[in-house]
Amino acid sequence: MNRKMGRLAGGFAGIVLVLASTSLSGCSSLGVKPWEREVLARDDMQLDANPLDTSLDDHIYFSKEGTSGGRGFGGGGCGCN
Amino acid sequence: MTSNRAMLNFFRPALAGAVVALLACANAVAAPPTLDLAQYRGRVVVVDFWASWCKPCRQSLPWLNEMRARYGEQGLVIIGVNVDAQRADADRFLRDVPVDFEIIYDAQGALAQQIGLQSMPSSFVYDRDGKLAHTLQGFREARRAEHESQIQTLLAGKS
Amino acid sequence: MAADKRIGGALAAAACGLLGTAAPRLSIAAEPEGKWDIDTAFLFYGESDDRVKDASLTGLAIRNYGDDRKLSLGLTVDTLTGASPSGAIAASRPQTFTSPSGKATYSTPAGEIPLDSSFLDTRVAASAGWSQPFARWYTFNAGLDISTEYDYQHLGLNAGVTRDFNQRNTTLSLAVALGKDKVEPVGNVPVPFAQMTDAVDDDGDVGNRGADSEDKDVLDVLFGVTQVLGRHTLLRVNYSYSDSSGYLTDPYKILSVVDPVTGEPIVRTPPPGVEGPTGVYLFEHRPDSRTRQGLYTELRHDFSGKVLQVGYRYSTDDWEVDSHTLEGRLRFPLGGNSYLEPHLRYYTQSAASFYRYSLADGAPLPEFASADARLADLDAYTVGIKYGRQTSGGNEWSTRLEFYHQAGKAPSEVLIGNQVGNTLMPDFDAVILQLNYHFRL
Repeated sequence: MNRKMGRLAGGFAGIVLVLASTSLSGCSSLGVKPWEREVLARDDMQLDANPLDTSLDDHIYFSKEGTSGGRGFGGGGCGCN
Repeated sequence: MTSNRAMLNFFRPALAGAVVALLACANAVAAPPTLDLAQYRGRVVVVDFWASWCKPCRQSLPWLNEMRARYGEQGLVIIGVNVDAQRADADRFLRDVPVDFEIIYDAQGALAQQIGLQSMPSSFVYDRDGKLAHTLQGFREARRAEHESQIQTLLAGKS
Repeated sequence: MAADKRIGGALAAAACGLLGTAAPRLSIAAEPEGKWDIDTAFLFYGESDDRVKDASLTGLAIRNYGDDRKLSLGLTVDTLTGASPSGAIAASRPQTFTSPSGKATYSTPAGEIPLDSSFLDTRVAASAGWSQPFARWYTFNAGLDISTEYDYQHLGLNAGVTRDFNQRNTTLSLAVALGKDKVEPVGNVPVPFAQMTDAVDDDGDVGNRGADSEDKDVLDVLFGVTQVLGRHTLLRVNYSYSDSSGYLTDPYKILSVVDPVTGEPIVRTPPPGVEGPTGVYLFEHRPDSRTRQGLYTELRHDFSGKVLQVGYRYSTDDWEVDSHTLEGRLRFPLGGNSYLEPHLRYYTQSAASFYRYSLADGAPLPEFASADARLADLDAYTVGIKYGRQTSGGNEWSTRLEFYHQAGKAPSEVLIGNQVGNTLMPDFDAVILQLNYHFRL
């Protein structure tokens, strides 16, 4: 693994630790109450709001450029159940 | 100078009116909706928090209608607390999913805050003595039967 | 914070029956159980001149069972036609090449970038996925996808899990995907750095060819964090790791061998009575493994009904292709349940360590080399706009028009002789047109 990749993995770990320490510790300064999710529940606020557009774009850019992927899934939304 | 005075004379009462209206509004909003369970002593009360944007509520509210229909005579009371920020959204939802029980509007979430709401939707079930017996967090089809038997058990309890 | 104060103000106004400035709302789609949610799209992709044109039809059907259990089925059929750069460079005289099948030839005029002869290719891809919650805070998903075209097959499996924390304000996700691909090039897999041979008649063997197929294995791992930052804001950060091994070379791409002083492709004369290449062209050779890592971050923010989405991705790998992608979308609701969404994307990458513009005659061959412009330094941008409208039945039409421009550059270290300041890269423009219809059955 070269130095750049090591730094990237480290950077990500750093971000996760910052988020984790503020949210998971129950300090909950980040986030909203369960009844305050009306905006986050909207279709246009979903991370996978347009799955077809995303997959069609990914296919085009995968075919035409040297890098692909990385976008992922999960989280946000109404937070129900 | 005179025209300024005239303008002031016009705007002052208008401004006063606006301020009074705003204060009245502020007071109306500042006072949170009240939920006094004492009046239901002797009956089993389900306080259900729901919102138009909560997808499982499309299943939970009809289920609550069913419980009300089946056990209302045995002393089951259902109170729905709506936490929509906009009343219009709640009304639109109720047009699609009508309910047979009382709705309290808690747009600012004061009741939700007070009761310690942890998830949406949530049902707080109180026994005939007014004590909190169960907190049902979320709504899953798979647990309908379990919830119903919990209600039956509470209804069977003495007042 | 400020956002809450504004909400408080809006609530006060609404509660008092004054005219609230509530933003036009897109209806929160109900997901009735036992019904299919179907999204279909027609896409046209067209590059400038005689280059690639692609038309595809895609369908994604989602069926919701009770309690957030979901089945998704996808199908895409697409047809590709047109020519793409072969990797050979333009010359000051016309050039002739043997086609991939080895049985015919094609020519390129002087001063033009050689393009592979036109071909027609149809691809079919299908996918199936299942997702469901388990325990209180977890969801699990798994899926499989396959695709096939005349010279390429792909089979993939994926599985993932998410876990919510902090009243579902924080979500951690982990996903793994495995892929197995098989390439069966027309004319068989060329031997690395083998020279392009003369065309043969139907009975002859195409020279310098190896196996009739090769495999490639891919492992992808994705670890993500999604965090609700506020009532109107969502942040996502993903780390991805990808490992490919096996046959990673493009069996159709070649490199021109050039004079070390002039940088011009050297001349070759095919034997009399034979059709064949008029230069020395070698098939490319890439490493048999590629390890890539990426960091992707996305922010979604609502401004009274308008939604801004901004994403940045950084990627780096052991081929030294480093890239940055910056993308933004802003959705404006319009009256009558419709919206307009402009889109901008900027992409830049650095060349692979083995990218070569051409090879010098007489110089020792490098271990790996490719003249594929997709591995050069390159910049690309996309400008587009999308318009969508909901019907009274809750279905949605939308259309998207985008312009894509790609411009490449060969790093000066790989240029030979007089090529410095005199390169011609296969830059192109493309138009993307998409029509969508989303409905419930």
